[in-house]
Amino acid sequence: MSSHHIIPMKTLISTSLALVVLTIVTVAVFYLPIPAPFDVVVALLLASFKATLVGMFFMGLYYDEKFNTVVLMFSFLFFIVFIGITLLDTLFRDSGISVW
Amino acid sequence: MAEAHSLENPRLQHHFRNADQQFSSSKLGMWLFLFTEIMFFGGLFVAYIVYRAWNPELFTMAASQLDTVLGAVNTVVLIGSSLTIALAIRAAQTDKQKQIVNYLLMTILLAGVFLVIKYFEYMHKFDLGIFPGAYYTFEGIDHPKANVFFSIYYMMTGLHGLHVVIGIGLMIWLVVRAKMGDYSSKWYTPVEMTGLYWHLVDIIWIFLFPLMYLIE
Amino acid sequence: MSAATTNGKTLKVRYFDIEENPTEHYLNAESGLKSWLFTVDHKRIGLMYLASIAFFFFVGGVLALVLRTELFTPAENLMTAETYNRIFTVHGAVMVFLFIIPSIPAALGNFLLPMMLGAKDVAFPRLNLASFWIYSIGALFTLVSLGVNPVDTGWTFYTPYSVQTGSAVILMTIGVFIMGFSSILTGMNFIVTIHKMRAPGMTWGRMPLFLWAMYATSIIQVLATPVLAITLALLIMERTLGIGIFDPALGGDPVLYQHFFWFYSHPAVYIMIVPAFGVISELIATFSRKTIFGYWAIAMSSLAIAFIGSLVWGHHMFVSGQSELSTVIFSFLTFFVGIPTGIKIFNWLATMHKGSIDMKTPMLYACIFLFLFTIGGVTGIMLGAISVNVQLHDTYYVVAHFHYVMMGGTVMAFLGGLHYWWPKMTGKMYSEFWGRISAIIIFIGFNLTFLPQFIMGSQGMPRRYYSYIEQFQTMHQLSTIGSYILGVGFVIIAVYLAHSLMKGQKAPANPWGARTLDWMTSSPPAQHNFNYQPVCNNGAYDFHKPIADFTLGIAEDEHAHEQKGDTIKQQEQNV
Repeated sequence: MSSHHIIPMKTLISTSLALVVLTIVTVAVFYLPIPAPFDVVVALLLASFKATLVGMFFMGLYYDEKFNTVVLMFSFLFFIVFIGITLLDTLFRDSGISVW
Repeated sequence: MAEAHSLENPRLQHHFRNADQQFSSSKLGMWLFLFTEIMFFGGLFVAYIVYRAWNPELFTMAASQLDTVLGAVNTVVLIGSSLTIALAIRAAQTDKQKQIVNYLLMTILLAGVFLVIKYFEYMHKFDLGIFPGAYYTFEGIDHPKANVFFSIYYMMTGLHGLHVVIGIGLMIWLVVRAKMGDYSSKWYTPVEMTGLYWHLVDIIWIFLFPLMYLIE
Repeated sequence: MSAATTNGKTLKVRYFDIEENPTEHYLNAESGLKSWLFTVDHKRIGLMYLASIAFFFFVGGVLALVLRTELFTPAENLMTAETYNRIFTVHGAVMVFLFIIPSIPAALGNFLLPMMLGAKDVAFPRLNLASFWIYSIGALFTLVSLGVNPVDTGWTFYTPYSVQTGSAVILMTIGVFIMGFSSILTGMNFIVTIHKMRAPGMTWGRMPLFLWAMYATSIIQVLATPVLAITLALLIMERTLGIGIFDPALGGDPVLYQHFFWFYSHPAVYIMIVPAFGVISELIATFSRKTIFGYWAIAMSSLAIAFIGSLVWGHHMFVSGQSELSTVIFSFLTFFVGIPTGIKIFNWLATMHKGSIDMKTPMLYACIFLFLFTIGGVTGIMLGAISVNVQLHDTYYVVAHFHYVMMGGTVMAFLGGLHYWWPKMTGKMYSEFWGRISAIIIFIGFNLTFLPQFIMGSQGMPRRYYSYIEQFQTMHQLSTIGSYILGVGFVIIAVYLAHSLMKGQKAPANPWGARTLDWMTSSPPAQHNFNYQPVCNNGAYDFHKPIADFTLGIAEDEHAHEQKGDTIKQQEQNV
């Protein structure tokens, strides 16, 4: 299997358009009154979707060897581990263990 | 089937058995490097998240000093630059030599626009006395930790900007080589590698933009 | 393995002879300083790393002896308290960043990885050379910082002191930052090489366990080192610009620094020990002349340690002021990470059981490892218990624990590996007699140095202290005497290894009768490792098969450099 896949022009253009639209949506949503913390959640979901489009179609992961996607997934996983466990400290400083 | 070295494919290095093994190895190597970049920036995102969780009102106040329109424009600029570099790679894959150079130049141009906009943003802040860390003198935000927000802002956008500058440098080098006809469907690995790097720079900004500029 | 795991390609193969005592090999293929400094040969790069880490081990070791001499009595003997702080900082930083982290991966790993895979080099040879140069430049920055104003913060650079102290923190952290890149690039190189350049027929299940260990280590290097990089960058920004993320005086949180620092530095200790585990697997299998017991358990446990070990960093921070919730979770995960390690120890013991044990020097070191590392590992679990940790944190108990695992573990495995692969790397045999003598001296000296430290620590002797109360004097003195004995042991090693280089007996290609591909070529190897493209048809520990079964290679290969030896068997082989 060759690793030289030529991404179709249509795919590149439509991905770019989708990304621009999503950017506009992200800004528009910002002006909607969504209660915290969901405003951050929505913004991050939109950003994640945009990043996925960039990864799959600009960076070619959709066409590429699966292991390259695994590498990317692992990087997000360990970032989540880093922030998740750190937050278990920083958000619960005054709680004691009674948070159970 | 193994290819002969040297004569047919001067780019094939001796420890690889064929060009495809070499190219897919380079790509895997690049993805691993991007893994490290994600962890590198990830540290800054962790600092951001921790401080935002501790001081939500500060972040809301401080973000008012950031221009949402300029941030959104920069986002679109980088998306455009991702498109143009993908087109440059495509040009190499389809042996369109002039297009490689042109698309690379467009990417450099767009990256330059990004930096110019950031320059104006930074200058505006400096005029107000919003400097990083101990040099912060702005009085307009009524919060004792205002300097911390902007320190994080400068660190994140600064490091991102540094990566943009490095990307421009890499692309200038690619333009020089492309003009000499070095890249073709037979071998265009440096263009592909730079493209992957540049897309990650774009992805990081895609996350930076809402987190910095769109705080209600 | 059956035909069911083939990729459908058929190769024409035959058996090859291995050249004994070659006249041309990688050491004399090119000569002159430039041929070394600008080499892309992974074996030469490995040797350059070996020389560098040996030098830095010497530097760190001398500093250790200086510290122990000072501690012989509570009074001021050789230096002021401020100087003492600088010396233990430099000892730690040199030993951690310049010696132990590169030690097995860069010195042994670089040399052996392509050979064990049956490859001609790593995936990115020029990047490999760059790794070495980056390491050297980083080391230079660190050494310059010693000359300018030696750092006095401890190798952990905790804030706020590291932000406020006048010592050359920035220079040293720049040096460490730069060396981090070397570690990352080596890790990237190894991962790609293992994925893409295994010999035909070498499935993942046929790889030697040393390679599984290097793979897991490389994952950690790629994952964790960038976080150290951003931590140090933030520290430098804090010192220069007053950023205020870590320094409470500027609005920051010093515990956050510790999270950032230990997110790397705990996986770093697995970077130190997992390669050692890989070496031990090779040594025990070869010198028990028996298939390793539980191959997949050991292979998967390396990956498990890499993964779980990235979750436990907070066990360095139990008393730092972090939340009780995270403390409890970190403690539980810390107990959990001991399990895969324990699995390895039991599998190694089971390998030795009813094996044909040959107590050569490498095996002696492997046995020493089993004893010392078990003590170190178990005391680590004890430190993971929160209530115990409150008592033992920042005492000599911790110092003893990490020296047992790092020196009693990694260094012993490194020495075992060094002796094991010495004939392959140099083409010479070392003196078995002096090898065993020095191993025993080191064992005695090591225990005499560090066992008293467990006792002192549990009785309350704090670490990094320049002076102490009367009741600890005897233990300190025993420890100091032990450290000198330890030093003597290392000096002896240096002497007989130097002698071996000059006058040692010539080594056969496979003095130990091992089965892995690194032994299926001459000692020292040719510049391109093999005179044929090896094909792998057997497991790495199939001692029940004759060595001749392992010299299979592609017949009529235009990529091979020379075709030597008589054809013993020609066959069509499904791989």
